[in-house]
Amino acid sequence: MGRYIANRLAQLIPVLFLISVIVFGILHALPGDPAELILQGAEGGAPPERLRELKTQMGLDDPLIVQYLRFAGGALVGDLGESIRFRTSVTGLILDRLWYTVELALAGLLVALLIGVPLGMIAAVRQNSWVDTLAMSVAYVGASMPVFWFGLILILTFSFTFSWFPPAGADGLISLVLPAITLGFVSAGLISRLVRSSMIEVLGEDYIRTSRAKGMSERLVLWRHGFRNALIPVVTMVGLTFGGMLAGAVVTETVFSRPGLGRLVVSAILTKDYPLVQGCVLFLAVLYLSVNLVVDILYAWLDPRIRYAK
Amino acid sequence: MIFSRRSASAMVASLAMGLLSTSAIAQTPTPTPGGNLTIAWRANQEPASLDGHIDPFQSTWLFNSFVADPLVVLDGEAKYRPALATAWEVNADGTVWTFRLRAGVRFQDGTPFNAAAVKYNIERIMAPATASKQLASELGPIRSIDLVDDLTIRLNYPQPWVTLLDGLRRMPIWSPTAAERFGLQEFQRNLVGTGPFTLGEWVKNDRMVFRRWADYGGWNPMSTHQGPAYLDQVTVRFIGENAVLNEAVRAGTTLVGFSLTPDSREIYNNRPNFRFMSLGQSGTGLQQVMNIRRPPLSDLRVRQALLFARDMPAINRLLYDGTYIASDGPLDNVHRCFWPGATAMYAPNADRARQLLDEAGWRVVQGQPIRQSRGVEGVPDGTPLRVRWTTIHHREIGEALQSQYRRLGIDLQVEQVPGPIQLDRVNRRDFDLMFLRQRSPDPVILDQVWNSRWDQPGGWAWTGFKNDELDRVVGQLRVVGDDTRRCEIAKQAQEILMRNAVMLPTLSEPVFIAMSPRVQNFQMGSEGNWFFLHSTWIQR
Repeated sequence: MGRYIANRLAQLIPVLFLISVIVFGILHALPGDPAELILQGAEGGAPPERLRELKTQMGLDDPLIVQYLRFAGGALVGDLGESIRFRTSVTGLILDRLWYTVELALAGLLVALLIGVPLGMIAAVRQNSWVDTLAMSVAYVGASMPVFWFGLILILTFSFTFSWFPPAGADGLISLVLPAITLGFVSAGLISRLVRSSMIEVLGEDYIRTSRAKGMSERLVLWRHGFRNALIPVVTMVGLTFGGMLAGAVVTETVFSRPGLGRLVVSAILTKDYPLVQGCVLFLAVLYLSVNLVVDILYAWLDPRIRYAK
Repeated sequence: MIFSRRSASAMVASLAMGLLSTSAIAQTPTPTPGGNLTIAWRANQEPASLDGHIDPFQSTWLFNSFVADPLVVLDGEAKYRPALATAWEVNADGTVWTFRLRAGVRFQDGTPFNAAAVKYNIERIMAPATASKQLASELGPIRSIDLVDDLTIRLNYPQPWVTLLDGLRRMPIWSPTAAERFGLQEFQRNLVGTGPFTLGEWVKNDRMVFRRWADYGGWNPMSTHQGPAYLDQVTVRFIGENAVLNEAVRAGTTLVGFSLTPDSREIYNNRPNFRFMSLGQSGTGLQQVMNIRRPPLSDLRVRQALLFARDMPAINRLLYDGTYIASDGPLDNVHRCFWPGATAMYAPNADRARQLLDEAGWRVVQGQPIRQSRGVEGVPDGTPLRVRWTTIHHREIGEALQSQYRRLGIDLQVEQVPGPIQLDRVNRRDFDLMFLRQRSPDPVILDQVWNSRWDQPGGWAWTGFKNDELDRVVGQLRVVGDDTRRCEIAKQAQEILMRNAVMLPTLSEPVFIAMSPRVQNFQMGSEGNWFFLHSTWIQR
């Protein structure tokens, strides 16, 4: 198992290197000069000599390779540079917002599992009945509904009409309820469909038939043999979903005006804040890869055939 | 002011009459101390930094004004009034400014406010390490600063600098001790000034909280009472979704909704229990400046045709129910120095536009919706008349104009780009019609945008228009101090600009504000995007 983990960790190195090169390259190929953006105020111009001074100060005069090495060297020791716009450490900005996104992703995942797993199981057990059709209809609606639209509907209903939950902000758990439902409901649809198909497949296995033939209660058959075995592909799905939620909570964060990494990276892109975009993308990539690594390890632990096959 | 009707003309008329000043907000005689004033704020107007010495954004300076009083205040009637400076004088040629400072004032950290503190603040702004994006240029080329005594400071300039007060009204005076202690990076999270509130917390992308400073002495002329502010707390919530922002006050989420979108009128129009205001913003309005370096806009006749071919009142009615403010020239119609001749000069006249285009060689071709060139210098014959409209917001105005222009055979191609892309296009001078807006009650913005000496990287003169007479006229806005004379100069400049048709004025965006009736004495400044909370209180 230790060797398997070491192998997976080693595979991360070239991936991260490539990501850093691509992000660095793309951002520097885009139009717009960060020094000018800094000095281009809302209502005033910047003298050219000041522009030159600032470029030198920011190292923008250096060759690209030097700029990249400076960025990569810093990143290795956790220093992602200084944000052009916020004038503060990129690492600090990311860490300030990290918990808000993690909190939202965890809550969203919880909602997705609480809705998706039971829905998928009911649909599988009552396959081809009206219950199945209803459950899968709900799943399709969830999977196909635009997040921003669903979020707004929740706000209009539960914030503005009933005043049960705040429509915006990140003040305590109560402000997490609607964003979590918004984010989780979409994934619930996907999870429920996977649980259903996986469960149907497992329920057709010989050992399930044997269990039933032995006189085991249907409840035990479903939970002990059916659900646990059907869970293996779902674990992968859950991991990917969580990673996706971390990196893709931006719409939910915007609709509910929550601070988070998604909004940070979007605003950084729009203001061409090079160091912040680079830092955020690299950080999100590491986060996503780490989640995947954990999922792979969990998967290998759940199903030993995987680690031996590798 | 309550707008319960859809009458746009009444709204605009009331703007013009100046009813939106301080006195317009109803006051009741028995203020109740305490409470948390919650304000819903557009998320895209959240400042990046809270240090106004560095950042150039109006919201930064406004939030700074909660924490730090400036030397002078621009009140609701657009008059400069003494705040931390009790008096000032300027010599005849505008090169020496002397300020007498208020005695007995202390910063929130207990250190004294005096001439040395003001000098420190000015030097901090001017220091290259600060990289001040606007205040440094507004303070101008200061040659030296004299500390005449503990409460008198003198600024010496090598040339007349008559716009100093406009810069000083926004300049927060920070505690030198605190600024030194925290440094450039950290001070924005640890603001210390002499204002009515202290910075409580700032959760970026979420909220900003200001708490009452109990030792505030009420040394701002906008305070209608002595001593500390009535409010215990001010919480600004940054809302990213417009639908949520617009509904915030109606739903009781916040007491004030600031900078709402135009459709918020639908929510508040028939609800007389809320206050809904629409306030003008003096400046250039939402104008598109023309790149006259290349065809087709290098030809004056084409530029004039674009002006004659537009019907902005119709677009205002179509898009905004007539609630936007007319902007017929280089300064918008609510600017105190607006030149009224601009309105008549290019009144909608489609026939005149057609005639000008024909004369310029852009002819209607049978069976083609778009005019084509015939003998236009530098343009191959048969080239369609295409003009690119680049903006960073208000795309819909371009799209509405697109349909008006198409009737005349002009293909207006509308594109909305992010700010950095706009700057890149400007730097490469790769545009036809480019969005450019400046907001200020001072006409010096005409010099910033139109003096050809600012046609350089980082400057705002983008069009390539060079006119010696115009440069001389707008240059005087940096020299002449008398307010009446400055407006005359500004009008002269506007006439030159309109004659040469180098910009396409559209409309001016007002600020829409909704407010709970419980909010009392919410004092608006003379600009729609400024207010004072020194004596605001919440009715229980």
